[in-house]
Amino acid sequence: MALQDYTNDMFGCSRCSLCKWIPQNQVKSWRFAKGCPSMDRYHFHAYSGSGRMIMGMSMLDGRSELGDAVAEIIYKCQLCGACQVACMAVRDDIDLGDVLLEERARCVEEGFLLPEHMEFIESMKREDNTLGMRKADRGNWAKGLDIPDINLERVEVLFHAGCRYSYDEDLMETVRNAVALLKKGGVKAGIAGRDEACCGGRAYETGYQGEMKKYADDMAGRVKASGAAMLVTPCADCYYTFKYLYPKNGISLDVEVLHITELADRLIRAGTIKPKRAVPMKVTYHDPCHLGRRGEAYRGGWSGENKLDRPIRFKQSGEKGVFEPPRNIIRSIPGIEFVEMERIREWSYCCGAGGGVLEAFPEFAGWTARERMEEVASTGAEALVTACPWCVRVFQDTIRETGSSLKVIDVTELLMRSLGGK
Amino acid sequence: MISKEAVRELEHALGAEFVSCEPAVMDGYAYQPTHAEILGLETKWCPYRPVAVVLPHTTEEVQAVVRICNAHKLQFKALSTGWGIWNAPGSDNVVQIDLRRMDKLTIDTKNMIAVMEPYVSGAQIQAEGMKSGLNVHMVGCGCHASPLASATSLMGPGCSGITTGYSPRNVLGVEWVLPDGEILRLGVPGQGNDEWFYGDGPGPSLRGIMRGTLGACGGLGVFTKCALKLFPWPGPAQPKVEGVLMDAKVEIPGTHSSFLCFLPNLSRFADAFYKISNAEIGYFMGKHAITGALLAGCMPRAYKNLVKSETVRSILTALQNTFVIILCGRTQREYDYQHKVLKQIIADCEGFMLNIGHVPLLHSMLWWGFIRNSLPPAIFRAGGRFTTAFGGFETIDQAVFQSKIGAVIKQELIDSGDMMDDLADNSWGGLYEGSSCLAHQEELAIFDPREPKQNEGVNKYIDKAMEASTKYTITPGIGFGGGGAVPHMLGPLIYNYHHWLLQIKETLDPGNSADPSFFIAPEAEKEKYLRDYARRRPQVARLVEDILAADKKRSDVP
Amino acid sequence: MVGKKALAGIVGEENVVTDRNILDAFAVDKSYGEGTPPAFLVKPHSTEEVQAVINLAKSEGFPLIPVSSGAPRDHEDTVPACADSVIVDLSDMKKIVRLDRRNKVALIEPGVTFGELHAAAKAAGLRVLMPLLPRMNKSVLASCLEREPFTIPKYQWDTTDPLMCMELVFGSGDIYRTGSAAGPGSLEAQWETGAAQKNPLGPGQWDPLRLVQGAQGTMGIVTWGSVKLELLPREEKCFLAAAEKMDELIEFSYLIQKFKLVDVCFIMNAVDLASLRMDVVGKFPPWVLVYSISGYEYFPGERIDYIEHDIEEMAHATGVLPISGVAGVSAGDIVGAATLPCEGIYWKDRLRGDCRDIFFITTLDRVPRFLDAMAGEAKAHGFPEGSLGIYIQPIQQGRNCHLEFNLMYDGRNADEAGRVRALYETASVRCADMGAFFSRPYGAWAALAYRKDQPTVKALKMVKHMLDPKGIMNPGKLSLGTEV
Repeated sequence: MALQDYTNDMFGCSRCSLCKWIPQNQVKSWRFAKGCPSMDRYHFHAYSGSGRMIMGMSMLDGRSELGDAVAEIIYKCQLCGACQVACMAVRDDIDLGDVLLEERARCVEEGFLLPEHMEFIESMKREDNTLGMRKADRGNWAKGLDIPDINLERVEVLFHAGCRYSYDEDLMETVRNAVALLKKGGVKAGIAGRDEACCGGRAYETGYQGEMKKYADDMAGRVKASGAAMLVTPCADCYYTFKYLYPKNGISLDVEVLHITELADRLIRAGTIKPKRAVPMKVTYHDPCHLGRRGEAYRGGWSGENKLDRPIRFKQSGEKGVFEPPRNIIRSIPGIEFVEMERIREWSYCCGAGGGVLEAFPEFAGWTARERMEEVASTGAEALVTACPWCVRVFQDTIRETGSSLKVIDVTELLMRSLGGK
Repeated sequence: MISKEAVRELEHALGAEFVSCEPAVMDGYAYQPTHAEILGLETKWCPYRPVAVVLPHTTEEVQAVVRICNAHKLQFKALSTGWGIWNAPGSDNVVQIDLRRMDKLTIDTKNMIAVMEPYVSGAQIQAEGMKSGLNVHMVGCGCHASPLASATSLMGPGCSGITTGYSPRNVLGVEWVLPDGEILRLGVPGQGNDEWFYGDGPGPSLRGIMRGTLGACGGLGVFTKCALKLFPWPGPAQPKVEGVLMDAKVEIPGTHSSFLCFLPNLSRFADAFYKISNAEIGYFMGKHAITGALLAGCMPRAYKNLVKSETVRSILTALQNTFVIILCGRTQREYDYQHKVLKQIIADCEGFMLNIGHVPLLHSMLWWGFIRNSLPPAIFRAGGRFTTAFGGFETIDQAVFQSKIGAVIKQELIDSGDMMDDLADNSWGGLYEGSSCLAHQEELAIFDPREPKQNEGVNKYIDKAMEASTKYTITPGIGFGGGGAVPHMLGPLIYNYHHWLLQIKETLDPGNSADPSFFIAPEAEKEKYLRDYARRRPQVARLVEDILAADKKRSDVP
Repeated sequence: MVGKKALAGIVGEENVVTDRNILDAFAVDKSYGEGTPPAFLVKPHSTEEVQAVINLAKSEGFPLIPVSSGAPRDHEDTVPACADSVIVDLSDMKKIVRLDRRNKVALIEPGVTFGELHAAAKAAGLRVLMPLLPRMNKSVLASCLEREPFTIPKYQWDTTDPLMCMELVFGSGDIYRTGSAAGPGSLEAQWETGAAQKNPLGPGQWDPLRLVQGAQGTMGIVTWGSVKLELLPREEKCFLAAAEKMDELIEFSYLIQKFKLVDVCFIMNAVDLASLRMDVVGKFPPWVLVYSISGYEYFPGERIDYIEHDIEEMAHATGVLPISGVAGVSAGDIVGAATLPCEGIYWKDRLRGDCRDIFFITTLDRVPRFLDAMAGEAKAHGFPEGSLGIYIQPIQQGRNCHLEFNLMYDGRNADEAGRVRALYETASVRCADMGAFFSRPYGAWAALAYRKDQPTVKALKMVKHMLDPKGIMNPGKLSLGTEV
């Protein structure tokens, strides 16, 4: 699909601007009513979901040209999907998120590339990861964990750490906790170690759609070779790639794909693991976009002409994302006081890191994180719990910059505290 | 074109990041498809693109922008939440002032007043108001729209009107940047005490030149702040709501319930409205074309099939004269009384009613959808767009008369295959100001702008609605909003009101710097506006020629 | 100077008054205004006659002062500021053109008084939204045009209420109709479609009604108007809430109005109550909130019953005790006395013979600070507490209130009258300094109201010039500096 294939979607826009807000049913205050970081930071209509569609039409109609300034607007968006959720509350015929992806693909096709994105694309090509790290070091995070290597033995569950967890030393404890959790749960999981590669999702999101294919094929091959019936990842970005981008592009992994929080929730509910140790803390939970609304499994496959006739079950409206499992985990931990923010679930506010923004526009990423942290502060929570390494990264960086006393904790880490350590 | 010097001055006044001349960015303001068909414009690109877009943060910055525009012979046009053709620039010389960065809100709980800047939405005010037992008037297009924009500059109907009035009549203090950049504050704020509780006087009320049935749609300057009345909310401070719209699940207080009231005909329908108005019951009340727009919005695909069945059609048609009323008792006593009265009224009018409270999920969706006013945009689900006509604000009987005429016109177009079949029943409207017996009904029509035939059909509908308004001497509602040419055409039928608008415009804005395209075409541009309009709506070509010929005759008189 | 002949040619000789006694009486009114006697008084009987008089005034350059109510007049607005003026007395235009029970609206001419409309409305089961005890001969439209507050705040959705539409002749000589009355179509054609001239907005994108209201006859002359009426209650129950200090009534008053539970609702001090009910022997408490609860067409008793209980709870929560009477007089009697046109001596003059009023708009929570200030000023001027009436009328459904100080005195006593005048002037300034909003800036109040608001002055001059380009309509009364 290319941008012009979404002409009807774009022309369907009534410019109602609902895409700038969280769904109206959920507005609970003046302060936290808005839903689009890009719009909130830059304000011109072009930065909204609607404005981006209008830009697309404008280019297709020859009214404006794709240039550096337009490309910058296109890329100053986390692809968080909040606009699509708000739009789809009242529309059945507009796939807004896909329009945004195709605009980026057009940027790449026409050579409007951001150097910061090219850097990680090069890194992917060279070292199979987005962080510019050596491929040889990819499995270092698992040293001493005594976890099976799928290159050496077949496993029931393939654990895919993802680029950020594999290399970000600040977050390594979290991924090691995740493995410990699997062990406690008796899950026979293995890893690919240094042979694990990027899922390719970040490349697709930044417009390098063709790049993802290679990684997807690689991933599918690895899954198959491992003999696993289940793929588990602690990375929300990878999860989204597996659940949405791969199937949308006709790539099947042929296994059940779970986020670590889904598996942990199952284990708790089955009684396999029991959080017993009290963790006396007031916490709130931040829904990562890629695990929440964008973690909703691909609902495409409808092949009609007029999307007005498309049955609702094919609408990627976001409400079937992963929302309850991480909350169930938090609620299962004794001593925790769990409070919700106003913008949660499919109307959650983004952390700021996604869509290539953290790499290309770190100031914007930090601005978005600060906005979210103000919402956290309004709940009185001392800690922000989340389930995505990119979210944790940008929040921690922002806390460091602002001197905030807020703690950011991955949900698996929190669970491990209650389970009594690794 | 805008000069580099003007851009430099704008950037100096606001900061470079808040000024854009990028074509793709400006196209975000040149695409205003909603209700472009009412003007006969194409429902995609507006005729003009702004020459720059600016984002002021304060009244002083708005003032600076206006002064720069005046100095450089540019026009300006402000928008708030910016939905609808009325926000579009009307010439190739317009700086679009996007007021998005002006979004402050304060509430005076005791005196039931909200003071707001332009980019505050109805939902935001409601959410804050409810915390103190207050609510705001929600305009028909939805709760994401700016109440300030509605109250100062556009129309203002909405189905909570029985409790919350009508936008233009809810205005208290106002801050207004005039076309020359001077700041005029109406009412109490003019005294310089930063108080906003009253908007008329001293002496004659300048609200009289601010707006009438319709606002000036940007043609008289920029409204940067206003105070609006708030109204009681006898419900929870923060309703517990799950879901985003159709999937809503809400805890509804035991003293609230919603009712679908079915009347045998429009005459009894009107009687019921009068009786409810006189009884001073009800919190929310409106006609929502239950068997038309509402059903199509809730189940668009099924609806298209349902209306093909003669049996279903006959059932739906029999249920057309329907309205929704929500009773919100502050106490059980109040609820019980209102419920008893409502039952008696419906019985006296030979109707029947369903208590939707007995259907919990439907009740959740409707109760919160109506109270929050989040449902209106769902009308897009069936076709992608809708148009509207009539909507004059008058007595209940006249509102009902308007919907009758509208349905007749639409049925003809449905029969000829020009319009989507909605059983010709798509009027929506409310009852206003409690016991005042004031009402409005607009006749909606759903269409898909991507289908050329439907575009044609909707244009025919607008043409016929305009004809009917004149033929039946119907108080104009939407009709007033047809753009700068319209007052010149309607004026002779309505005490030459256009002469006075022209005087207001020329006195407040001799340089014509505030984009007049949705207010009134100044004398110097009248011919161009009229000819443009006639080109888009050929049915008025003769009228336009008559007006221009009369003008010529007058000017030929020595 | 215009001659009688020209005027008689328009209205007929019998309708041109030249009696000096009648004319000289217009040079003064109950206020402090001092003017010039008019040259003539004319009594037009139709819109066309009004238009012709205006056109004559335009061409001949003489001032017109429209008057609709009978004497005694007040507030200076009908006292000619210029010589050679002509009073346009509309009191003979007194047709009730249409009284529409279904739409609860009356279309009336300017000479229709409260007494007359009240009687007609009552016969149709309706009631007029009246100010507190208007004079029997007070013109309904004149009262509406002056934005006088009325006693049932729940029915005031906007400041223009109860006036809906009107026909008038601007100072420019143009006949105009406002709101939905403007058309398209004649009144009869509009009635055919179910319309009843009930939408006060417009026509189009302006609201001329608002420009004429509050203008003291400086913009044009109204020839008819539609006023909204309300149902006459089938049943009514009245209550009082007494307090030592006004503050004690504020929260309760806000609550009962917020939910539109009460019909008649106002607060008075003992002095005003005594003036209202001179026949009462007992002593009224310092402050009394007066309110009524009504039942309409459906189950009236049950409506009253549930509201009474709801209000009881509110009263309990706010420390107020609703009572049915005080000082030997029932609440119903007080409401009855307060909601009818005033017969005989005007109620404010009953206690001392004369009364000067200071009134302005504020909000209920701001009232106590004005009470304190006024008490201080009264004391400083040696004005007795027992002659200071205070009337607080919530308006716009309780969002604001009309606060009125009634300085009652004996006008025959020059010393007392002098002190009252000094108090009136000083207290007006003091209140203005404290944020009192003189929305109806009669006489000297104009300077207070406009002193900080030059943009409004500039805009009003523009409006005045537009509607009355020759400046013939009641010149000087807008007090904008240069409009005379």
